[in-house]
Amino acid sequence: MPASFYVQLAIAGISVGSVYALIALSIVVPFKASGVLNFGQGELATLGAYAALVLSQFGLPYYLVAPLVIASGALIGLMIERALIRPVIKAPAFTVIIATFAIGLAIKSAIALHWGDTPYGVAGPFGDEPLVFNGLRANPTSLWIVLCTVAITALVGGFFKYARPGKAMRAVSINPEAATLMGIRINGSYRWAWGMSSAIGALAGLLVAPVVGINPEVGGLILRGLVAAVLGGFTSIYGAVIGGILVGLLETFAAVGLGGTVKNLAPFLVLLLLLAFRPYGLFGSREIHRV
Amino acid sequence: MRTPNERTLLCIGAAAALLVVGALVGSYPAYLLGLAMVNVIAAVGLNLLVGNSGQISLCHSSFMAVGAYSSSLLASGAGLPFWAAIPAGSVVAAIVGALLGLPARRLHGIYLALATLGFLQIVQIVVEEFADFTGGVRGLNTAKPTLLGSPLTSYGVYCVVAIVCVLAVWLAINIKRSRIGREFDAVRLSPHAAQALGISVARVKLTAFALSAAYAGLAGGLFAILVGFIDPNEFGIAASLRQLTYIVVGGLGSIGGAIVGAALLSGLPELLRPIKEYTDFAAALVLLGALLFMPHGLASAWQRLTPKPKATWRGVPA
Repeated sequence: MPASFYVQLAIAGISVGSVYALIALSIVVPFKASGVLNFGQGELATLGAYAALVLSQFGLPYYLVAPLVIASGALIGLMIERALIRPVIKAPAFTVIIATFAIGLAIKSAIALHWGDTPYGVAGPFGDEPLVFNGLRANPTSLWIVLCTVAITALVGGFFKYARPGKAMRAVSINPEAATLMGIRINGSYRWAWGMSSAIGALAGLLVAPVVGINPEVGGLILRGLVAAVLGGFTSIYGAVIGGILVGLLETFAAVGLGGTVKNLAPFLVLLLLLAFRPYGLFGSREIHRV
Repeated sequence: MRTPNERTLLCIGAAAALLVVGALVGSYPAYLLGLAMVNVIAAVGLNLLVGNSGQISLCHSSFMAVGAYSSSLLASGAGLPFWAAIPAGSVVAAIVGALLGLPARRLHGIYLALATLGFLQIVQIVVEEFADFTGGVRGLNTAKPTLLGSPLTSYGVYCVVAIVCVLAVWLAINIKRSRIGREFDAVRLSPHAAQALGISVARVKLTAFALSAAYAGLAGGLFAILVGFIDPNEFGIAASLRQLTYIVVGGLGSIGGAIVGAALLSGLPELLRPIKEYTDFAAALVLLGALLFMPHGLASAWQRLTPKPKATWRGVPA
């Protein structure tokens, strides 16, 4: 095999991985802020994809569709946080986990009720003509996804590092009581976290729509996103993104080297191995909890 | 509340009543009742793990799949009769449950949820990809159960399900009151205190996983002979959430709650038959509503109606 073949595979893996990275990011942000892992996050991506479908059926151009999808995602996230998450946030872990699952299931079945199982296709913003440099080919839609992922990661990273609400969120995640005493509104932090993560989720849906088509099963992406988040250590923004890209590369290379069955199994085997031996991931901070 | 002998007599009475009811109602209602009893077995098993020992499992339906597929394959491949194949399937599920319990011993909260979710995916993929054995996504027709050379009638299958269901419930009641059940409670209420009292938390978690997997495997094997057809869709994440809904609605940790929850909600798809497409949505709303407004389930409502001056499953108030 020539080296360019592997480079080509790596390009494919990174483009797939970018989507996982975005989903992982949208999982990690509220987890970092409020300790809630949203298992319904995939369905927020599905919602984003359908929002893009509706808006482009109105004939809006892509540069208007994209911000509207992100804004509607944020709005839905805020509503879910206020109506469904805040009442159970102090409940045992089991209740919160199952509640987020139930929210996802409700969204998914509502979408299936309205639009049915028929997949809709949408065109990417830059057409399907592959770009060729030096004999390496890349789909412009995939490049656009990678670009957006890099931009969002930088934005989120900067937000947590420099912006006031971002710093407040970090304080809340370290010690909610001390943060309250310093005048930080905990509920405000949670609101920010959910709005942001749903916006990122909706963006992920918008971006993958041209690649995987729009159907109620888009939310299944969350499974790979979760593996990516665990790989990255659950509390690390950059870890989640790197984890996503690693999962994408793993799948692509496993598919070529070892076949389809291994490709499908690989992310989950990695997940179980990680949870067994390194539950804090490759980049996360070690959380010691012995019984 | 009752002596062990009274409880056993009550179970025998329940079994007799179920057998009579199954003979009186038509074959379709009996089939639905059979499905409800399969769900009761699965829910009671899940409740031992989630409600009593306080663990999180999103892969109960996978253990059901392990039981269903291994008992069906043992029956068709190795020619085992159903009365040997179904317990064997349950044992296989228990072994797989113990294997999953090994890494799960050290996990809690979301990490446990993630591990069990990953396991569910692995089982789904294995069933779908190894189609030569499992029939893949097209499903598997299971062998007709026979007893002493003659095939079982649908009422015969109903009787098997009813008797096993009552036995499983009777066993669960006694497990809950045994040393193992008390250990489950201790681990749920405070793992640290349990460990300090000399209970090996790791061993208890392993026992809980294996035991609940055995129940799920039993339910899976019975499901296979009752329906006569199994496919991976039947054992996906939706099924796991459905089983969790049974015990959340019924009341975590309460066997009566699990029975009532599973029996009531098994009727939901029938009730919504005219508006069938709303079933999934309704199921999600029931689960969400129960978590938000009735976190202790129907069992706590029952306890409020019949107050007793004694410790409940939630333990003695501190």
